[in-house]
Amino acid sequence: MTAADLIFYALAALTLVPALWVVGSPNIVHAGFNLLLTLLGVAGLFAWLGADFLAVAQLMVYIGGVLVLVLFTVMMTRVPQAREADSGAKRAILPGLFALGVLVVLLLVATGTHWGAPALTDAQPTTAEIGANFMTSYIFPFEYVSLVLLAALIGAAILIREPRGTEEDDEAGAAVETAEEEVQS
Amino acid sequence: MDTMLPMGSVDVGMNGHFATVLIFVLIGFFFAAVALIVAKLLRPHDPNPTKLTTYECGEETRGSSWIRFNVRFYLVALFFIVFDVEVIFLYPWAVVFKHLLPLPELGVLVFWEMVIFLVILSLGLAYIWVKGDLDWVKKLVDRAEDEPPRRNPLLKSVTNEEGSQ
Amino acid sequence: MELLNLNIPSWSDLAYWRPEAILCGTFLAALLGDLIGRGRRPAISFVISVFGLITAGAYSVAAVLHGGAAHTIMGDLIIVDGMAAFFRLLFILAGLATVLFSWTAEEIMGRKRENKAEFFYLTVLMTAAMMVMAEARDLLMLFLSMEAVGLVSYVMAGYMRTSLRSTEASLKYVIFGAVSSGIMLYGLSLLYGMTGAMTFDGIRAGLLAGEVNGLSLLITVILILAGMSYKIAAVPFHFWCPDVYEGAPTPVAAIFSVGPKAAGFALMIRFFYTTLAAGADPSASAPLIELINWPLLMAVIAAVTMTYGNLVALRQLNVKRMLAYSSISHVGYLLMGFVLLTDAGLAAILFYLAVYTLMNLGAFFVVVALNNHIKSEELDDYAGIGFRAPWLGTMMVIFLASLTGVPPFAGFAGKFYVFTAVMDRQWFWLAILAALNSVVGLYYYFRVVKAMFLTRPAEGADTTPLKIHWLQYTVLAVLAVPTLVLGFWFGPLKVLADQAIGLLSTGM
Repeated sequence: MTAADLIFYALAALTLVPALWVVGSPNIVHAGFNLLLTLLGVAGLFAWLGADFLAVAQLMVYIGGVLVLVLFTVMMTRVPQAREADSGAKRAILPGLFALGVLVVLLLVATGTHWGAPALTDAQPTTAEIGANFMTSYIFPFEYVSLVLLAALIGAAILIREPRGTEEDDEAGAAVETAEEEVQS
Repeated sequence: MDTMLPMGSVDVGMNGHFATVLIFVLIGFFFAAVALIVAKLLRPHDPNPTKLTTYECGEETRGSSWIRFNVRFYLVALFFIVFDVEVIFLYPWAVVFKHLLPLPELGVLVFWEMVIFLVILSLGLAYIWVKGDLDWVKKLVDRAEDEPPRRNPLLKSVTNEEGSQ
Repeated sequence: MELLNLNIPSWSDLAYWRPEAILCGTFLAALLGDLIGRGRRPAISFVISVFGLITAGAYSVAAVLHGGAAHTIMGDLIIVDGMAAFFRLLFILAGLATVLFSWTAEEIMGRKRENKAEFFYLTVLMTAAMMVMAEARDLLMLFLSMEAVGLVSYVMAGYMRTSLRSTEASLKYVIFGAVSSGIMLYGLSLLYGMTGAMTFDGIRAGLLAGEVNGLSLLITVILILAGMSYKIAAVPFHFWCPDVYEGAPTPVAAIFSVGPKAAGFALMIRFFYTTLAAGADPSASAPLIELINWPLLMAVIAAVTMTYGNLVALRQLNVKRMLAYSSISHVGYLLMGFVLLTDAGLAAILFYLAVYTLMNLGAFFVVVALNNHIKSEELDDYAGIGFRAPWLGTMMVIFLASLTGVPPFAGFAGKFYVFTAVMDRQWFWLAILAALNSVVGLYYYFRVVKAMFLTRPAEGADTTPLKIHWLQYTVLAVLAVPTLVLGFWFGPLKVLADQAIGLLSTGM
């Protein structure tokens, strides 16, 4: 086993062990924080594979942004219930078997496939190349992404903006009001 | 490649660069561990109940710290992510901008492409600004007014401010 | 890095891409208009959206009339060909009809509703994104365009912020959407790993050149199908469909039931036809299709989808939910055209999609028009409505009869082509099953007609005639007349569909 292998297994362990915790932990706050380690491990794997830009993007977007969002979401749930949430060990049997089956199939695919994609031998910094591609062949998706991001922004605002009043369905409004009261008290 | 981006006097390849990062990370962990272990060995160990409280002075904490957050935090975090992703797209552009700008067939394109990208996204910023999503304290009265005003819009804003007070 | 060898798109590419560019511009202009009106004048966005859609539609029609070969543009990521032109017209029709109809829909424009202007420009953006979905010829654009349509859809599903059902619809849509996108991405990554190519052509070349493991390809195809089945709501990725249609505002459900579905079919046609079947000798089966037993896979999915949709639709008492399950069953009929990936089958899909867009939009819009007055979508509340709004009732009969597939309505012609395409290749059991399903459909579609025209309203119920807005009548008439006419004069549309698919097989 070379040093590179050793680093790979360390990163894989960093990804998988907290991931198991995320799935199994009865405390969703702990699950959220363990997600941090998993995402860090994935960033490390990107770096190990020579995708330096992806690794940094993973750090900035997922750890710096998405994870914060996840934690906010956890904080917005009804915490006392969430903390004692039933981990559902019994109900996990069937999904667990299903997951095992998926694992077997994917292992068969991974070992049986004749991979045609060229293997990366000499990894070079990728950021400049990605930038040059954005400016040339991939101009179109680059601009398209800006529209998608704009739509995401508007959509997020529409969906999360506190609704003003209620008419036929009063339950939603009532839920919002009780939430406000709880925060204030 | 090396003509485009001088990454240092010696080309060590990418794994070389990340090996540097890895060594830094390891040294960081090592220093933190050494500091903690040395402190543990040197410090006197003599606890009493007062010392063990969270704060030796100031307020005792009351209630649970697991309160429910206001949804506005979430909204701001979401806006942050959108612009965070925007920065990710800016970065590779910034890396090559200086090299591509002098090229006759690309220079103009490279500049205007990013201008368009940024203009489209600043429309998003304008949107959340105008719609009041950046106001921490919502003007509830302002939003409750639904019917389009028939009066001068300049007068309108004045009446709104009166209404919210 | 050899910069000069990179493929640099030129501005002239935009000449082939005018309708989409116009729609993107319309989206931005309508957004700006909304901001200038400080969010209180939805009329600005409405007018800009309508003008943009009409202009884009005019350019699309011009492109169809002009004909011409396929053009790959934008650095070979986008292809504009006969099929793209066909779907452009479909999406613009759906987008324009939805925008016009929503202007008078209480669920969007009601006095207490919020974010009215947003609805119009988000619909415009969704139309543009669906057009890109039909034009993608690269894995990157495939995923990006699907996500763009998805993102807008999630927002539109949760549009009625004060309604718990609408919020639930949006949440379900997001969760199922995220899961299915993730599954599909995994499949796409496997495909890239096998072939090392991103474009559909390159993938086909890679698959034919290299040694392909049958199991790996089958799993890859199934994973990718998962993502696409979600978009078109085929069993077993249909769970979101009834809840989303029921919870979302009805105009949104209307465009969901035709737009993203048609876009999903367009993407599936281009992707699977190009990667698995194109270039093969039409008289013999393609080796890749044989390898994964594609016909049986699709036949089973189609059979299960149509049967499930029809059987559950039988038990629905809410018209919107019934239409949701009916749309699932129509996806089953449409998938029959995929079984052999032949030109005839794919052309039949295109024809049926066009017809389906007309009749399903129409049926949903009638529900919107009624909801404005009776504030309900329950079948019981439809009692006697046919006498209070005779024209509306008549049009509903036209749409429902066409959905059933009885002659002489357009739905019959659509089904006829799909069935013959399947029977040409000896898939009789599938055709018989589909015919049986159509009979089941007759029962639940005509239950609505019965409620509207044959049931007496409860004692003391309101029996005054309903006042329907002229704009609603206009849009409905524009949908109903072709639904009738295409039933016996379907030649031109058929030619258009055949040409679209013909170009697909030769124009690459």
